[in-house]
Amino acid sequence: MIKFGPGNLRIPKFEKPVYVVAGGLTDYRKKYPEKNTSELCTMALRMAVEENDLKVDPEEFRRMVNWVVYSQFADHFGDQLLAAAKIHDYLGFDPLGNIEVKTGGATGGSAVLAAAQAVASGYADCVPVVGWERMDEVTTKVGNSYIASAACKDFESELGWMYAAYYALMAQRYQYENNVPHETLARIACKNHLYAYYSPFSQNPGKYTVEDILKNDIVSDPLTFLECCVMSVGAAVLIVCDEKVANRLTDRPVRLTAICGGSHTLRTADRRHMPILLLPNETEATYKEYFTHKRTDWPGFSSFLASRMAAYLAYNMAGIKDPVEDFDLLETHDAFTISDVQTYEDIGLRPYGRGREFIESGEAYFEGKLPTNLSGGLIGTMHAVGATGIWQIVEVLWQLQGKYDKFHGDPKMWERYGKKKPADWKSLQLKNPKRACTISHAGTGSHVTCAILEKP
Amino acid sequence: MAIDWPKTALEVLNEEPLVVKNPKTWYHIHTYGGWGQFFKGLRNKKILATRCTNPQCGEKRLWLPPRANCPDCWHDMQWVEAPQTGTIYTHSVVTYPGELFKLPPGTPLISVEIEGVCTKLMSWLKEGKPKFGMKIKAVFNTERPTNSILDLAWVPA
Repeated sequence: MIKFGPGNLRIPKFEKPVYVVAGGLTDYRKKYPEKNTSELCTMALRMAVEENDLKVDPEEFRRMVNWVVYSQFADHFGDQLLAAAKIHDYLGFDPLGNIEVKTGGATGGSAVLAAAQAVASGYADCVPVVGWERMDEVTTKVGNSYIASAACKDFESELGWMYAAYYALMAQRYQYENNVPHETLARIACKNHLYAYYSPFSQNPGKYTVEDILKNDIVSDPLTFLECCVMSVGAAVLIVCDEKVANRLTDRPVRLTAICGGSHTLRTADRRHMPILLLPNETEATYKEYFTHKRTDWPGFSSFLASRMAAYLAYNMAGIKDPVEDFDLLETHDAFTISDVQTYEDIGLRPYGRGREFIESGEAYFEGKLPTNLSGGLIGTMHAVGATGIWQIVEVLWQLQGKYDKFHGDPKMWERYGKKKPADWKSLQLKNPKRACTISHAGTGSHVTCAILEKP
Repeated sequence: MAIDWPKTALEVLNEEPLVVKNPKTWYHIHTYGGWGQFFKGLRNKKILATRCTNPQCGEKRLWLPPRANCPDCWHDMQWVEAPQTGTIYTHSVVTYPGELFKLPPGTPLISVEIEGVCTKLMSWLKEGKPKFGMKIKAVFNTERPTNSILDLAWVPA
C-alpha cells in the first residue's frame, strides 16, 4: 500500500486500560541440553509469579488466569507442531483457552499485542504471555538456513540462505546514501556487548573495543559476527492484566499505554517509493532537502516503513510528542548494528539520514538522555526469537519498577545459571524512569510492534 | 505373533542429559504456481515480469519478482518481457552463507534496478566486482538449470 485512506491510519484505542505487572526469564544460551522447552517455559513462568513480589501466592495466581498467549517463531527449530498445547498442559493451564502467535522476529511483540487486545476488550483480565525458542537442535549453518526460509523462498532465500546477507544489502545501501563510518556501527555493538556483561541472563557479553568489532570476521560485508544478534535457546514470560487485577497483584503496576503493529513487504525488493509518513516531531520541512541523487526513494532499503507505521500509531495513541524527550529508556531490536541506526530514524529519534547522531552524541548510553538496550540487546544478551519481544518488555518493566538490581545484581541469580557475578559489575538501574518504549521487529522489516510503558 | 522391535535406533549423542539425534531426510514438493512462467522464461533467456491489466490501476510499471495478482487492486497481471540490462542498487559479498546455498562463499549478492520496473530484484553477480550504479546485463544458466532464481545472474555490461 503506498496511498493511505483515513481508515488505514486510524489510531488504535484500548476500551480498558492495560497493565503489565511481572516478568520472568531464563538465562540464554547457544545450547541448552540440560532443559527441554517445557521446562524452560516453566522456569520463566515461575520467576514471573514467584519472584516479582506479587501479593498473591502462586496457587492463587493460577486461579486468576483466564487466557494465555504463546509466542514461538519457528516450528522448524522446535520440530514440534502445536508446541503451545504441550507447554500449556505442562504449565497446568488446561482447559483455559490459548493462542499461539507467529510474526517472525516480532513474534514476542505481537504476542504481547494479542494479550493487550484481549485485556483491553474485556475478553480476559489476567493473561500470561509465554515465549520461547529452541535453536540448538540444528547446526548454526542449518539454523541460518531455517531463518532464511523466513525470506521469500521463491525469489530470495536461495541467494545466500542467510539473513545477515539481506541486512548487509541494506547496510551497504544505507552507508552509500548516508555515509556512516563503520566505527559508528561498531560503537553500538560495543555498547550492547558491554551492557550484556552486567546481565546474568546474557549469552554473548564482552568488553570489546571498536577495533575488536571491526577486526572480527565478516559474515556478509560490512557486517561482522560481533555486529549480529546471537542464536539462542531460552524463554520469557510477561503477565498482562487489567487495572483491578494489576492492583490486586502488585503495588508497582506499569501501564501499557500503547502497543501497535506495522508491516511491510517480506521482500525488500518490493518496497516502492512513497511519501514519508511523518511522526509528531516532524513536519514536511524536516525532509525538504532529504532526497538527493543518492537518496532516491523512501523507504527504499535504508528505512523500515513497518517501524515507522508502528511508531506513528503508538506515539499518537500514547500522546508522545518527541520520543527522545518523552521516553526515559528504550529497547530496540538490534538484530544487526545497521538495523539499529535505521530504527533510530524510523522511530523519530533523529530525522532520516541522521541516525548516527543518536549514538555519536552519547544519548543512547546509560549516562545519556535516552539509554538504549541496557538489557544488552539482541547482539549481547539473546535472540531466542519467540521470547525476544517479551524479554525486552520484562527488562523495561523491571527498570520502571526499580528492580534492575534485584534481577541483575544478586550474586545468587548469577550462580543459578552457573556464572559468577563479575567483580566489576555495575548497576544499570536508571533513576526513577517513568516511560519506556520497546521495538519488536521481524524479517527485513516485515512486522514491527512498538510498545509504550508508563508508570501510573 | 509378536511384533518385532524397530530395526533403526536414534543415535545417542550424550548420556547426561540424554541427547539423541533425530534424522530428517525427506523433501518438499513445491509449486511455483502462477509464478512458474518466470522460471520457465529463464530457460529461454527471458526475464518475464508482470504488469497489472486494470486500466484504472495507478501502478503502470512492471513487477519483478512477478506477481499473478496486483497488490494495489487485486486484478490479474499479464506477462511482459523485462529489459535485460540494469544497474546495481546495492550489493554485499556473503562470506558465511547458510546451509543449502548452491554458490560458493564469496559470491556477490546484488539488488538490481531496471528501468520501468517498480521493484529491485535480488540476484547475484557472476563476474566482476560490484559497485553502486554499475551497469550490468543479464546472463542465464541454460547449461545445468537449477530451476530456481539462481538461473538468472548478471555480469558487467
